[in-house]
Amino acid sequence: MEAPKPIQHEIGGIQKDALRFGLNGVKSDLVGSHPLEIAYESARKNHEEMKKRILANTYGSAFPLKMDMDRQILSRFQRPPGAIPSSMLGLEAMTGRLENFGFEDYLNDPQQSETFKPPNVHHGMEVRLGLSKGPVCPSFI
Amino acid sequence: MSSPAFEIPPKGGFSFDLCRRNEMIAKKGVNPPSFRKTGTTIVGLIFQDGVILGADTRATEGPIVCDKNCEKIHYMAPNIYCCGAGTAADTEAVTDMVSSQLQLHRYHTGRESRVVTALTLLKRHLFNYQGYVQAALVLGGVDCTGPHLHTIYPHGSTDTLPFATMGSGSLAAMAVFESKYREGLTRDEGVQLVSEAICSGVFNDLGSGSNVDVCVITKGHKEYLRNHLLPNPRTYVSSKGFSFPKKTEVLLTKITPLKEKVVVIEGGDAMEE
Repeated sequence: MEAPKPIQHEIGGIQKDALRFGLNGVKSDLVGSHPLEIAYESARKNHEEMKKRILANTYGSAFPLKMDMDRQILSRFQRPPGAIPSSMLGLEAMTGRLENFGFEDYLNDPQQSETFKPPNVHHGMEVRLGLSKGPVCPSFI
Repeated sequence: MSSPAFEIPPKGGFSFDLCRRNEMIAKKGVNPPSFRKTGTTIVGLIFQDGVILGADTRATEGPIVCDKNCEKIHYMAPNIYCCGAGTAADTEAVTDMVSSQLQLHRYHTGRESRVVTALTLLKRHLFNYQGYVQAALVLGGVDCTGPHLHTIYPHGSTDTLPFATMGSGSLAAMAVFESKYREGLTRDEGVQLVSEAICSGVFNDLGSGSNVDVCVITKGHKEYLRNHLLPNPRTYVSSKGFSFPKKTEVLLTKITPLKEKVVVIEGGDAMEE
């Protein structure tokens, strides 16, 4: 389904909004808006890296590669963009998030956000096929 | 790496959207409202066949007492309870979330939860949020490996102790524990000592007050003694009640009927099926 020349688009909402995120500056882009944000993200990334390394040491380097392939396949297995978001059941079962329960599951649900705009099916499909620019769901969290 | 055309639907959780705006506003001289001072006395000890947890019941909001009889001993699992000090919303949210995780884990494994599982989940969560989740906890429970008592600090560090105190009244309570605790206490002696420690927090610390809650956990059994002691009853209630001679005066009555702004058309423009 990959388009020959994918158009660059902003993932996870519009990033260049001066009123919400401040004027673009090199420092603020590097530092982030809050010290906790970077710490949290890097901790999550380090944890994943460590898990991968442990798997590679235990089962050989092919195992994490295969898991990565599975992850890519499962992350593409989604509903067409529309009113109902994809549950990502397969992906969550593989990554182990299905058995977990955190803040992200019940606090600040993007579906219940005041600024939530239901995504347009046609636009969303165009973005997925690489015909159109922009995020599928142009809403803020 | 090419940008993926399929994005995973966004998740909720902490939002940092307004941090930069708030920082800018603070720099301009408009300071955000400061944190409210919190105060609590929570304690726990290990006695001969289990764990006893205790807490006071005052919730403060800076200089104001906003709840005189709140619950600070939270349910985690049937054999584990947790006392919370710090921001009430944070302690409640964290303990509720971890109790859900423990329930999921019990469904998965079909066994009784262990106290170390709860401890690890709590400390991992608190460490991830680097102290911004302000919850200081005393976790106690009895599992297949015996009674356990742990304290968890807001930044995620933990202690394992035979007796523990937390909150602003912890010094007063610890003084009682250090002078009177010994190994192999019976249940009644333990409850007595815990209530004494909480009472010392209640009477010597301004952030703690009102009643004493106690929770006794033994192997396969728990006993939640809500309001075990009531050392601060209301001293005087007027037997006649209060009467107000002058009623509230109505100065002006004006009723404005609501205008119907939405026009409902029946039957027109039916949806295609």
